[in-house]
Amino acid sequence: MLAILLVLTALAAACGGGDDDDAGGEPTGEESDQSDQGEPVSGGTITVGLEAETPGWQPGSGNFANSGVAVAYAIYDPLVRLDENGEIHPYLAESIEPNDDFTEWTVKLRSGVQFHDGTPLNSQAMKTIFDTYLIAPGANTAGILRDTQLEVIDDLTYKYVLPAPNSGFPDNLAGAPGWPFSPTAAAANGANSGSMPVGTGPFVFDSWERDSRLVVKKNPNYWQDGLPYLDEIVFRPIPDEDTRLSSLETGDIDVMQTLRQSTGIRARDLDGVDNYEFLGNTTGTTIFNTTKPPLDDVRVRHALVLAQDQAQLIEVQGGTGVVPPSTQVFSEDSPYYSQEVADAWPAYDPEAAQELIDEYVNDPSRSDGKAPGEPVSFRYDCLPEPVLVDLASLYQSFWQEIGVQVELRQVEQATHVQEALSGDFQAKCFRAGADADPYVTLRNAFTLPSPLNFTRFTDPTIDEDLAELAASGDLDERKALVEEISMTINEGFPLSYYGSTLAVLAAQDYVKNVDGWTFPDGVRGIGTPGATTHWAFVWRTE
Amino acid sequence: MGLVLRRLPAMLATLLIVSFLTFLLTSLLPGDPAIQILGADNANDPDSVEVVREELRLDDPLLVRYGAWLGDVARGDLGRSFRTDQQVADAILERLPVTLEVGGLAVLIALLVAIPLGTLSAFRAGGRADRVVTGASFGLLALPPFMVAILLILVFAVTLGWLPATGWVRFTADPIDNLRHAILPALSLAVGEMAVYTRLLRADMITTLQQDSITMARAKGIPTSRILFRHALRPSSFSLMTVVGLQVATIIGGAVIIETLFALPGVGRLLVDSILQRDLIMVQGCALVIAIAFVVINFIVDLLYTVLDPRIRYGSAATT
Repeated sequence: MLAILLVLTALAAACGGGDDDDAGGEPTGEESDQSDQGEPVSGGTITVGLEAETPGWQPGSGNFANSGVAVAYAIYDPLVRLDENGEIHPYLAESIEPNDDFTEWTVKLRSGVQFHDGTPLNSQAMKTIFDTYLIAPGANTAGILRDTQLEVIDDLTYKYVLPAPNSGFPDNLAGAPGWPFSPTAAAANGANSGSMPVGTGPFVFDSWERDSRLVVKKNPNYWQDGLPYLDEIVFRPIPDEDTRLSSLETGDIDVMQTLRQSTGIRARDLDGVDNYEFLGNTTGTTIFNTTKPPLDDVRVRHALVLAQDQAQLIEVQGGTGVVPPSTQVFSEDSPYYSQEVADAWPAYDPEAAQELIDEYVNDPSRSDGKAPGEPVSFRYDCLPEPVLVDLASLYQSFWQEIGVQVELRQVEQATHVQEALSGDFQAKCFRAGADADPYVTLRNAFTLPSPLNFTRFTDPTIDEDLAELAASGDLDERKALVEEISMTINEGFPLSYYGSTLAVLAAQDYVKNVDGWTFPDGVRGIGTPGATTHWAFVWRTE
Repeated sequence: MGLVLRRLPAMLATLLIVSFLTFLLTSLLPGDPAIQILGADNANDPDSVEVVREELRLDDPLLVRYGAWLGDVARGDLGRSFRTDQQVADAILERLPVTLEVGGLAVLIALLVAIPLGTLSAFRAGGRADRVVTGASFGLLALPPFMVAILLILVFAVTLGWLPATGWVRFTADPIDNLRHAILPALSLAVGEMAVYTRLLRADMITTLQQDSITMARAKGIPTSRILFRHALRPSSFSLMTVVGLQVATIIGGAVIIETLFALPGVGRLLVDSILQRDLIMVQGCALVIAIAFVVINFIVDLLYTVLDPRIRYGSAATT
């Protein structure tokens, strides 16, 4: 029996390294100092552990989550990306310019660039890709590019013609709609083209065993001289957070990707591992369905926000001292962050929350149809992950303190998203924000009929401000508009925030320059948003 | 051959029922598979949603969809995944060797441990060795495979560095490396199985060892090891064989978790991913293949009864 107890104790210790291991305590490690990367070294192979497998690699048919984007930036080059100041900058494109009212965006391509199969990158190739694969019915980029047309101007120049002004349109070209792939190869490979991606990127696709490994090899004809440094990269999807971390610890993999801050924080403590962390404009939120009673009443939403202590919510996720509290969908590093909005966001105040909820409870015309005096109740959905289970329980205890009855429900990811899309929920844990142009982020989340407006919160002021934002290219004017929109959102309380989220690429210390990628003109890139990077700039010293 | 013909209708009926129930259950999953495939960003594009729904025949009644799928299966076509653009049969065949190898290795390890331990435990029933084996078996039975997996990774990969924590190398690429990657997942599945097998074999063998034939063998002075492994083991193996067959379902269930933990490209992981991504045609194909494996393995177990005990063979011959 003693042996069994010992085994169980050892297991408990082993399992204790799970997601909630650090909950409640200060992290012991720190983000690595990456100031001294040394001189680039050519050659070598690295293995990268990813969060998940990607079903296919062709833009238009493949669904690219962060794990897919991490691979895509090896095979494809994006037309544009964000620079270190969070502004769009041309990458594969030589330039991208709008017309006066932002209804047209003209792209000039670099000359002499070829796809891996030798097909030249030109306007006609872009036109074929756009018409045949990106906006065809059934393409998963057709919604983003809805009613947009591509017109060829000359061999290396073309323009996107939009149905309405959109100053944030180039953001779409940092993602799958802006990753040129060989139209020749796509046509030749037919239905199998998603298994044999052909781009212009620094690495050429070599082989793919689904759910096991995808291998890319150095592109000897890459258009950026001297790049890439590595000879080969092996991408391995390892879905379990603990075993992915163990694989990094044992040296099975050289780099690991995680969007779970608890895993990222544990990686800080590994010997010989450097953490490349990115705290972008993504924040953990509770989304309230503003069309479902009792959450259709702003007093209830306001009370729920006042009743939550964000510091404790961050602590239960193991983020104390690592991630800052959130007050808006833009982080402090973003040019669109507003101190005024932050100051206006209510602090933890259970007494004020109680007053508001009592006012609603005793209102004879309360929206949930209950008799005055009956407690407020609603259902809160979240994913069945240990950290999020703890988070939901903490929310429940906060809200029970003011007499609100909360039924917790665990749902798997697909159901969670689909219920958010269809509006079949009352409150859910969710991520909000994106490292994209604020027009795109805010239009998606706070206008209708956008399917991504999960809270169904709208306001005429937001619509007017967004129309102005779409037609403005002046940063100061845009900042003022975004501030006004953020203020309007926070006055309506469609969201409550539970802290910024951390994306981490953890690498063995011999893997260098993981976040040091630059644009062809030398401008420094944004780093590693979503735990992705440009692998062309990475090298290994051993 | 007669046995095959007698069993065939029941086996086909089992497969039909399993496939229909899978179809029914997947159709009850919440959410629109078309939107899951297209992604939330594109949910406002009715043309794309319509194309995907048409491709998946989502607007047809359930029975019509099932009939069409069954017709395709009868022609050897399990369909094509809209999500991955891959033929379902190809996707499963690509992954089946991984699941079969890990599952087969797990059963082999479990039997290699359980047979000597169960025999020893029965031979020394009530003694110290029996108490140790019995206690350990109960302890191991209480451990789910995922906990065993985490412990094994912690000890053999992280601490000792003897074996890789995750990943897979095909046997054809490097047999030794293949085995190194297969051992920990197989052990994780085997631990629970070996406890079950040991307990069963012990119980049956205690009964066998009390039979007159064994007393006679002892009186003849036949060595104990020969009595145990030649005379007692075979008649004591009926329950063991039955359970090995039935436990295939447990191993497949365990493989779903183990393949995710160890990042193995097996059928279990394909099934989980397909359910989560609402890749219904792939789920249906996986369920069918798993059901076939279950039915075939249990049929083989039935055949093995006749090897273990010729009376069954003669008995069946006498009735036909």
